[in-house]
Amino acid sequence: MRRRKRMMEDLDRDIRDHIERETEDNIARGMTPEEARFAAFRKFGNVTRMKEETREVWSFVWLEQLLQDICLGFRMLRKSPGFTAVAILTLALGIGANTAIFSVINGVLLSPLPYKNPKQLVVMKENDSLPNVMDIQRQVRAFSQGGGINVEPMDYTGGTEPVQVRVGLINAGFLETLGVQPMLGRIISPGEDVQGGPRLAMVSNHFWQNYLGSDPHAVGKAIHLGGNSYTVIGVMPASFAPPAEHADVFVSLWVGNPGAAAYRGVHFMHTYWRLKAGVRLAQAQTDMAAIDRRLAEQYPAEEKERKRHLVPLHEWLVGDVRSALLVLFGAVGLVLLIACANFASLLMVRAVAGRQELVIRAALGAGRGGLIRKTLTESVLLSVLGGAAGLLFAQWGTSMLLALRPEKLARLSGIHMDTRVLLFVLVVSVLTGIVFGMAPVWIAARADVAEALKESGRSTTASTMGHSIRKILVTSELAVALVLLVGAGLLIKGFSRLRSMNPGFNSANVMTMYLQLPTTRYGEIPKQTQFRRELLTRLNFLPGVLAAMVTDIPLGGNYVDHRFVIDGRPPVAVGGEPEVQTLSVMGNYFHVMEIPLRAGREFTLLDREGQPLVAIVNEEMVREFFPHENPIGVRIRWARDTGPPRWMTVIGVVGDVKHSGLNQPTDPAVYTPFSQSDEAWRRFMTLAIRARDASPGLVEEVKKQIWSVDGQIPVGDVHAMDELIAVSLAQQRFNMLLLGLFAALALILAAVGIYGAMAYAVNQRTHEIGIRTALGAQRRDVLRLVMRDGAKIALFGIASGIAGALALTRLMARLLFEVKPTDPATFAGVAILLALVALAACYIPARRAMRVDPMVALRYE
Amino acid sequence: MSTKEQADRIELLQGTLDLLILRTLLLGPAHGHAIAKAIEFNSDDVLQVEQGSLYPALHRLIKRGWISFEDGTSENNRRAKFYRLTPKGRRQLATETSKWDKLAAAIARILRPAGEEP
Repeated sequence: MRRRKRMMEDLDRDIRDHIERETEDNIARGMTPEEARFAAFRKFGNVTRMKEETREVWSFVWLEQLLQDICLGFRMLRKSPGFTAVAILTLALGIGANTAIFSVINGVLLSPLPYKNPKQLVVMKENDSLPNVMDIQRQVRAFSQGGGINVEPMDYTGGTEPVQVRVGLINAGFLETLGVQPMLGRIISPGEDVQGGPRLAMVSNHFWQNYLGSDPHAVGKAIHLGGNSYTVIGVMPASFAPPAEHADVFVSLWVGNPGAAAYRGVHFMHTYWRLKAGVRLAQAQTDMAAIDRRLAEQYPAEEKERKRHLVPLHEWLVGDVRSALLVLFGAVGLVLLIACANFASLLMVRAVAGRQELVIRAALGAGRGGLIRKTLTESVLLSVLGGAAGLLFAQWGTSMLLALRPEKLARLSGIHMDTRVLLFVLVVSVLTGIVFGMAPVWIAARADVAEALKESGRSTTASTMGHSIRKILVTSELAVALVLLVGAGLLIKGFSRLRSMNPGFNSANVMTMYLQLPTTRYGEIPKQTQFRRELLTRLNFLPGVLAAMVTDIPLGGNYVDHRFVIDGRPPVAVGGEPEVQTLSVMGNYFHVMEIPLRAGREFTLLDREGQPLVAIVNEEMVREFFPHENPIGVRIRWARDTGPPRWMTVIGVVGDVKHSGLNQPTDPAVYTPFSQSDEAWRRFMTLAIRARDASPGLVEEVKKQIWSVDGQIPVGDVHAMDELIAVSLAQQRFNMLLLGLFAALALILAAVGIYGAMAYAVNQRTHEIGIRTALGAQRRDVLRLVMRDGAKIALFGIASGIAGALALTRLMARLLFEVKPTDPATFAGVAILLALVALAACYIPARRAMRVDPMVALRYE
Repeated sequence: MSTKEQADRIELLQGTLDLLILRTLLLGPAHGHAIAKAIEFNSDDVLQVEQGSLYPALHRLIKRGWISFEDGTSENNRRAKFYRLTPKGRRQLATETSKWDKLAAAIARILRPAGEEP
């Protein structure tokens, strides 16, 4: 460094000396002293550049220049705080929205599942029974391990009031397959996972913290579940949860529900399988097909016509969410594009305005490379600052996303800023700065010194060129905004269709509550019927309350299908009978839910045990199976009947109910009275309670009534029916809200863009407008002049936007409900909206143009 | 300087200025202006050197250790910096010169194949 300083000082002297000598030589050749000095300088070349080049010899050039450029950049930005703030804010919005969505995608789609070698895990789409799981485990060589789980609510009586906890009934293979290491103790061994095995429990970290007080010596303690005592043998780590559900305690299915465990035909376990190293999914699927055939031959009654499909676990978990997230990511990318276009056009204006300065720098000997570097440094500086501000936006945006997230995303809560997200922001902002900083660089690079010095900084070739680039930018902004608006419009339309979908019942003022009777005291149907009847009697005594019960409430996420046989029809092959949704009810269920009766009659108190068996079907069932006959009086029975046939007579037809979701088709359904059921395993029920006002006090009152019948019955899943509808709409609502938000953002940015371009154009033409006015142009003419320009841009933007939208909205067809991706009404409406906004944005500068005072304008120089 | 005059001159190839400086200093130490003059004179004014570009080149050579410098007094009693070839610079000049000869010969062979009269 010292050496360099000395060298540079010497250099000054040397150059002076050199020029003096050259001047002397020239004088000797007969020039006048003045000529001689001038010639010497010309021969020497650019002194400053030579000095700089020499300095570069002695320095870490690039680093020093970079620092210098950054300092200069900061100074320039501080000098024009308005420009800086607008540019940073624009980019922060774009980058922030992108980062928020990217962090969700990062958490949901990109991060591996929290299991050992998650890529080897596959899931069977169909539920299965434990005997089948055990056969598959033994016979399919493609799997190293496999296991299943079924979550059942059970009462945990540790404190004063019984609490309902979710018990994962598993086989030993389940935890092994997922590869979970217990935090304390151990997991169940295959030897203990047998009929009549010991009552052992593994508890979740959550359960351990909440009910066992995070006791480090919890292993070996006894807990009471469903009226039985279990010994805790292990505590799971906090990071562990079953792939698709929540469970507090894990218990062997053989021990927790031996009745269900032995039934081959009761397919209720979610099963997960681990592929052996190097085995491909296709191979496992082939093995599985062989098993399907073998089981169907061996157990025709239960297994005929069943096909098992394997899907990679990750794909299965994120399947529904994936397409929505990708569409949102695409949308938010478009928002960034618009923000970038605004950013670029801000930079352009600045570049045109600052051209004089650039030119003077060039005239003073600044190299072209240096000028480009300086301009790029400034735009990258801005974009990085924008990215940093965007991170703050994203932080806030992500928490908003988490608050809005649909149930399906809730499980994957690992959404946070990690290095990948930060890297994403950095790459996006730097690229933005470089790519969109190029436009002004282009102008700077074309700076023709002589030409530019002559012009007075107004209405010149460069600024006209800048203006036409801006027009292109604004046109594309409008086009992109239109695409987003169409996307949002389609989702909004679909959503409103969905909202206005009649669920088939009246959800207002209905509260639901899930109950399950313990096996120990309610193993037989008469006991269950007695409890149900007693409870409903008490509840209906409450003032202003109408109560009934059903096995599975609509939109509750569950139902059971049974195969059935119609009396008098030609026999169907065993296992090939049609399936219907099967629901048992008690109390005046259709009346409470306000499901309309279409034909026949409802169940009465007399339709009870010991009386002729009766059934009520829905309209879909009639459409599908009795299109040309009166279903009333027809007899049906379940195909599974093994003893004497239990024929049920159809006595009524009720309206269709959207059981599995408002956007799902209605299945044919059969309702039967609880009291005539022969299925003792369906010990669960959901209360449907219509009250004049569904206050929280009501829940307590209902609970009191339940416990006055049996103090040991846990109560769970207390929901207002309206809430269940909202939950079922959550994903669609989420998509709509986000895309709507992005579209609004796009609209605002595009409006700002076109406003900026027009305001700038008017400003540039003040002089011209002044002359026109002076020559007698009316205000109207001036208005037309400006608006015509704006309208042209808007028209082009909208036309190309429609073309783009036609190409792109196909991609979101899966997210739409009963709306075509090319819905003409949406396209038209959005185009009109955008046109109005664009014209409004032009009108403000146009009005300013109208007010131009010719005297002032002509002096404006 | 007229345009005609400029057309007859040739701009220096990248890096050849270094070689010319080293060659000039082979005859003994010299100050900046003298080096510039010598190059111009020896090339019969064909080579166009922006005299200023001499200085970055000199500093580059100093940094590489091919030349050294000392303060001295010039013919008209003015203090000036004298540049001198170092032994390392001398070796470098030999390598560069032979490289240059090879290059020039090779290019000449391509441009004027044997038997072709200029």
